[in-house]
Amino acid sequence: MGTRILTVEDDERIRTAVKMALEDEGWVVEEADNGEEALQAFTRNPADVVLIDIMLPGIDGFDVCRSIRRASDVPIVMVTARADTHDVVAGLEAGADDYLTKPFAPKELSARIRALLRRARTADPTVTHLRFGDLEIIPDEGVVLRDGKEVHLTKTEFRLLVELASSPGRVFSREVLLERVWGYGYFGDGRLVDVHVRRLRMKVEADPANPRHVVTVRGLGYKLQQ
Amino acid sequence: MQARTRRRRRARITAPVRRRIGLRWRLTLTFGLGAALLSAVMSIVTFGLTRENLVSQREQSAVTRTVANASRLAAQLPEAADSAGVDQLLKELPTPEGALPVLHYQGQWYAPTAQFGERAVPATLQRTVEEGQPAQMRTTYEGRPYLITGVSIPSLSAEYYEGVSLADLQRTLDGLAISLLGASALTSLAGGLVGYWASRRVFAPLLDVGQAAEAIASGRLDTRLPVGGDPDLDLIAAPFNEMAEALENRLERDARFASEVSHELRSPLMTLAATVEVLENSREEMPERARTALVLLSADVDRLQQLVEDLLEISRFDVGAIKLHLEEVLVAEMVIQAVSVLGGGGVPVRYDPDVGDVVVRVDKRRFGRVIANLLDNAERYAGGATAVTVERVDAHVRIAVEDRGNGVPEDERDIIFDRFSRGSEGGNRAADTGVGLGLALVDEHVRLHGGRVWVEDRRDGERGARFVVELPIVEAPKEEPMVEVTA
Repeated sequence: MGTRILTVEDDERIRTAVKMALEDEGWVVEEADNGEEALQAFTRNPADVVLIDIMLPGIDGFDVCRSIRRASDVPIVMVTARADTHDVVAGLEAGADDYLTKPFAPKELSARIRALLRRARTADPTVTHLRFGDLEIIPDEGVVLRDGKEVHLTKTEFRLLVELASSPGRVFSREVLLERVWGYGYFGDGRLVDVHVRRLRMKVEADPANPRHVVTVRGLGYKLQQ
Repeated sequence: MQARTRRRRRARITAPVRRRIGLRWRLTLTFGLGAALLSAVMSIVTFGLTRENLVSQREQSAVTRTVANASRLAAQLPEAADSAGVDQLLKELPTPEGALPVLHYQGQWYAPTAQFGERAVPATLQRTVEEGQPAQMRTTYEGRPYLITGVSIPSLSAEYYEGVSLADLQRTLDGLAISLLGASALTSLAGGLVGYWASRRVFAPLLDVGQAAEAIASGRLDTRLPVGGDPDLDLIAAPFNEMAEALENRLERDARFASEVSHELRSPLMTLAATVEVLENSREEMPERARTALVLLSADVDRLQQLVEDLLEISRFDVGAIKLHLEEVLVAEMVIQAVSVLGGGGVPVRYDPDVGDVVVRVDKRRFGRVIANLLDNAERYAGGATAVTVERVDAHVRIAVEDRGNGVPEDERDIIFDRFSRGSEGGNRAADTGVGLGLALVDEHVRLHGGRVWVEDRRDGERGARFVVELPIVEAPKEEPMVEVTA
């Protein structure tokens, strides 16, 4: 069965048009026109990617995002009104993996979805086990252990971690991470990286306020260390 | 900013040009002249009174003395044996204040001093005195002022005159005149200074009004004048603030309207964009006519999308809702990326070696749009950009986009940055999909980044325009990697 995409959008015309465009890509599209319906649909039959409009009647997009995120590591793309509002950061913090601003071209959406569906990869495919102090990464299985206990990461968080782990100690600029994890170019939104790093730290660091593994290198980017 | 300043200047030029002295100088002059007039009148009165006073004192004492001396002579003259005796008598007369006696006795003139004699006594005075009337006269003899008093001595049919030099009095009066003149001059000057000071005091609040107006014109619409300080000034401040308030509300309403309209347009556009794409996916199955129609539809949906995006962005500027997402980036790298990613590549980027490590603080997404818009502009009106250069000029970096078009005429160099203006080239919209907001957005974005943008001729003398964006250089890389700024 093909990739299944759940689109949550209250404007019927947009929903139908987007559904058609995504179906042309060969994906199976499920629709929901409000938050409750979206959550029911997702519980019934989890999709591979979820597209959520932030502006929804009833339960808003952030809450839908949070609810889905609690239950699953599925990639979530949210649709916001503007790129420079706090909506973007709020959405990313609610668990979204990427965002688009309305109106977007469906081609752009497909590109985003494809980027999110990519599997995590390491520079050297023979490496199956990475260890950073109390942190253990098994790229092939998509598993991260801290002190031997499994940590639940979203697919994007996991890819970010594996990317950083591919060259331990090397500083990765935001641009490089944006390109490798999200498939964006130079002009991608650096907040994607910042918020994901923040989310990652909450999960893999013993003390997220004083990170030991995922370290910020001021003015340059991020690196992973022992 | 440039464009706006020019626009204001234009508005001023159309107003009637008055080449009069400024109000401030007029006030100063008025005060000065008033003080001069007043002090002149005072001086003249003072001088006149003093003069009268001094002179009449002299006259009084001269009369008293002359009369006394005349009666003395009346008693003693008959005893004088000869003219030598008369001279002797005259010499013995008490003549304080250097009075000079002259006697006409028995048809002969006697004067003890050689320099003052018969000739010093004016004929009119002689006649009056000979008629038996005591008289007094101010006269000038040998260039010196004298007061001459004459009385007749009827018992001896003689006339006695006494002259008093008025030179000292003249000196006193001259001195007084000079002092008064000096005082008047000083008073006038002081008057002028007071006028200047007063005018400044009066003008200070007016200058505040001017500054406030300037601030409003430059976009700080919430500028208000303080009210409640002075009831007279409130007469200006209150209506001014009302005007500013009305203007602000009006502009806000307009901006909000534009913003709401564009927001409303986004949903149908979203549907349009998606459906056009679905149609594009099945274009192979379409008949020729439908395919042509789809091309038109697709192009105009793109154009509409661009327009709405630009309108949204520009209305965000107008309501001041732009949040810059500033990052420190290597300018050369950013320009190269912008040209290759957003400009479709193909345009050479040239920069000096000293630009290699120059850092600027920009919102990458927005600044990318600036460069993309300039490339787009060159594409539309000049057959494409020929080069993009980056150079360092002191504490600034200049990014220039050059083309080989017809250039931009001098008088259009400001207005092409206005909204919906396309300059004279704008008429050529054969395959044009622009909406005339591109350069306006460039202008707004660059200004928000603390820089400026202008267009000039190409420096190499070739045909074509050169759009220059100037940004301040960030010297030392800042500590925090990311700063949110609200415009």
